[in-house]
Amino acid sequence: MPEIRVTPLGAGQDVGRSCILVSIGGKNVMLDCGMHMGFNDDRRFPDFSYITRNGRLTDFLDCVIISHFHLDHCGALPYFSEMVGYDGPIYMTHPTQAICPILLEDYRKIAVDKKGEANFFTSQMIKDCMKKVVAVHLHQTVQVDDELEIKAYYAGHVLGAAMFQIKVGSESVVYTGDYNMTPDRHLGAAWIDKCRPNLLITESTYATTIRDSKRCRERDFLKKVHETVERGGKVLIPVFALGRAQELCILLETFWERVNLKAPIYFSTGLTEKANHYYKLFITWTNQKIRKTFVQRNMFEFKHIKAFDRAFADNPGPMVVFATPGMLHAGQSLQIFRKWAGNEKNMVIMPGYCVQGTVGHKILSGQRKLEMEGRQVLEVKMQVEYMSFSAHADAKGIMQLVGQAEPESVLLVHGEAKKMEFLKQKIEQEFRVNCYMPANGETVTLPTSPSIPVGISLGLLKREMAQGLLPNAKKPRLLHGTLIMKDSVSSFQLVSSEQALKELGLAEHQLRFTCRVHLHDSRKEQETAARVYSHLKSVLKDHCVQHLPDGSVTVESILIQAAAHSEDPGTKVLLVSWTYQDEELGSYLTSLLKKGLPQAPS
Amino acid sequence: MEPAEDWLVESLRLYQDFHAFDLSEATRVLEWIGDKGVFVAGYESRKKNEILHLTLPFRLSVKENQGLFPERDFKVRHGGFSDRPVFDLKHVPDTRLLVTSGLPGCYLQVWQVAEDSDVIQAVSTIAVHEKEGHLWPRVAIFSSVAPGILHGVRLSSLKIVDLESQKTMYTSGVSDSDELSSLQVLDAHTFAFCCTSGRLGLLDTRQKWAPSENLSPCPGSGGGRWCAEVGGRGQGPGPHIASLGSDGQLCLLDCRDLSHPVSSVQCAVSTPSPAPELLRVTWAPGLDNCLAVSGFDGTVQVYDVTSWDGMGGQAEPLFTHRGHVFLDGNGIDTAPLVTTHTWHPQKPRTLLSAASDASLHVWDWVDLRASC
Repeated sequence: MPEIRVTPLGAGQDVGRSCILVSIGGKNVMLDCGMHMGFNDDRRFPDFSYITRNGRLTDFLDCVIISHFHLDHCGALPYFSEMVGYDGPIYMTHPTQAICPILLEDYRKIAVDKKGEANFFTSQMIKDCMKKVVAVHLHQTVQVDDELEIKAYYAGHVLGAAMFQIKVGSESVVYTGDYNMTPDRHLGAAWIDKCRPNLLITESTYATTIRDSKRCRERDFLKKVHETVERGGKVLIPVFALGRAQELCILLETFWERVNLKAPIYFSTGLTEKANHYYKLFITWTNQKIRKTFVQRNMFEFKHIKAFDRAFADNPGPMVVFATPGMLHAGQSLQIFRKWAGNEKNMVIMPGYCVQGTVGHKILSGQRKLEMEGRQVLEVKMQVEYMSFSAHADAKGIMQLVGQAEPESVLLVHGEAKKMEFLKQKIEQEFRVNCYMPANGETVTLPTSPSIPVGISLGLLKREMAQGLLPNAKKPRLLHGTLIMKDSVSSFQLVSSEQALKELGLAEHQLRFTCRVHLHDSRKEQETAARVYSHLKSVLKDHCVQHLPDGSVTVESILIQAAAHSEDPGTKVLLVSWTYQDEELGSYLTSLLKKGLPQAPS
Repeated sequence: MEPAEDWLVESLRLYQDFHAFDLSEATRVLEWIGDKGVFVAGYESRKKNEILHLTLPFRLSVKENQGLFPERDFKVRHGGFSDRPVFDLKHVPDTRLLVTSGLPGCYLQVWQVAEDSDVIQAVSTIAVHEKEGHLWPRVAIFSSVAPGILHGVRLSSLKIVDLESQKTMYTSGVSDSDELSSLQVLDAHTFAFCCTSGRLGLLDTRQKWAPSENLSPCPGSGGGRWCAEVGGRGQGPGPHIASLGSDGQLCLLDCRDLSHPVSSVQCAVSTPSPAPELLRVTWAPGLDNCLAVSGFDGTVQVYDVTSWDGMGGQAEPLFTHRGHVFLDGNGIDTAPLVTTHTWHPQKPRTLLSAASDASLHVWDWVDLRASC
């Protein structure tokens, strides 16, 4: 039975450890390999034992696909490929390939240096893992082998994020990863064509939220910055080099201009260099607006935003500074934080998730006293704001995407099926598709009906047509032929039996069946035969019934002859004979005749 | 795009907090459940409508450390499907039941909000023996151990039905055919009604029909359509009933003497209202003498009625919410119309408003007088 099997790996229902196993057309693909950021032990990794039970991962899996660089989608990759063991190809987009190792290394440093973890992947492992990566372009069909192909679609969300279509023959699955349906300041909206996959796999968390508009989030950010600057305070915004930082800069620049603010805005140069470098490489990934600004002028030639110098941190008066790294775990942003933390007029705005062990994580948990190196205690009096800028789809967005792709079925991961009855009904009703919600570790099996194209020989087709009585939907006609599978596995031909025999070099044999039906009739054979003829003629209106001069009756190619019984003059024996090709009609006639003939009018 | 950007910059000064959402379908209903959840429901006539129970973003309910909660989204906590449009929805307090009204208007639908799943299920109906075409019954709930459903299309068909037994506990017993525009339960035995003509009254259900009422609507009103709301009793002295007409007139009345309105003003709106059935006037539960008005255009206006006296003067709103006009993301020519609004039960200056373009706003406005 052809089927597609999907198993989300890992324990627990929460978002934060994306890793999905898909079996399609005999191929096995792993989608994403994420880390659960909330755990410190083995629970943060997906449960690979599910697959390793079947032997070596490299033999079992045909490929691994990574949707984007967030750690909850790629954080477990080096562990998986170097410590568990996988040597096959790992597919991702070019920007993901460039950014992933940086985030993984950052994460490794925090885990090992800050938290002193022992059994963690090393820098060399990250490098070895990345050597297995095959980068792909958007909308490029990539042949993993001669049966499995994949294609990446633009997902929005972050730089390099993609949705992937996985195809084997006529069966396909689309995995969305994280995506968003509304464009933001530096990225476009996700888009997919009407590819009609058998299955669309996406996150359930989106389907149950109604997202606050991007403009309101930006407004909140501007308000906080404005209020702080108005009261003479300093705003620190720790950022990763790419993506969100540029967006926030554009936002502030526009605002500063409009409101005619004078406070300086600084951007640390390390950020500028890295960002420029990446943007040059991946300019096609951002939206039109950014591309225009980049082409017209250097990304960072803002009117109001200047390059930062360490010494400026001690300047009096209000200012806004963007600095790396994003989680306040080291470097410039941490230095500035230490200088400004003690003043309640100041503010730090964290634009995203922080890994456990970092200063960012601690202050976001509400900690106000931090132990720094050398047992020094830092009292945090500055205001701490946690803002989430990452763009996700929501209930409306998910419906839009399903409407675009037109899948046969939808599968939602990371949700509790019982709590999502309404959602399931909504999707099923709106699109008339099945909706599945497996728990982690649970396998969903989708039966599919792959279409197998068969070519029919012209000779056979013509011959069947010549027999008259064209088939229609209500009365299909039985056609005899031989199915030949030649050369490659995927080519089927339907030819006439004679042609097949000829190709095989075999002689044709005829098979004929004969059956005797006893009838109670004391008249002469010829009269019995005539009765049989008139009976069959009236019953079998669609068939060619003939009464031959020698007394026998034919129905198509079936021959019926009446003979006297050797011992009993009151009984006649009907000999019904047919070829193998007319088996069905032959059996039908036999049972019909066994029922007896209608009484002749006297 | 420009006006939207300008308005957003302005909004930094005008609002303490502002959230904007896009529902998949517009709602005419905003009904609270506790102070953390609201119900919304679609009102399209040609397709299935959704009834949703939404929980507010957590940060709106926390008192301290608001800044540490980045979540700004609504969560769809429960949902159900209605075959007919929903024009009114009331939650039966202390239960998991809802009552909705729509067209055709010959019955009310009772729903149950599931406890262990996310489904809102239709459970029973309450017959309304009127075949009134395009009219639908207004609903209000007498909450008690045995809840009673007050409903009616006209004064003559006003009834209270016991929810569980469906027995009629009270009927108006009059033949007046005045069409009802709102019903409001005030306490265990009293309710208020307002007719589209502007006729309003307060009734004690323990007595036979003997409302204290104004027999004629506010002076100077030449017809039009009216609705009204009675403010909370413990709100201090002053008139407690506000009556709003589709021509923009707003009358204040005192419960003790309904036949002589205390004051009447002309609201600063473009009139007449293009959709008088959507008119809404509500008293602020957390502010003295403040009320909100919507149903004329894409705005919600807040008025301070202290020191209103006399008849017929122009009133200036204390605050006007223009978000639905400026953030109309679709760029369609017709400006959206605010379909309903409601005050947050706890936060004094926070309101929710919904518009015909399916937008839903949560806004906390700044009282600019206080900042002087």
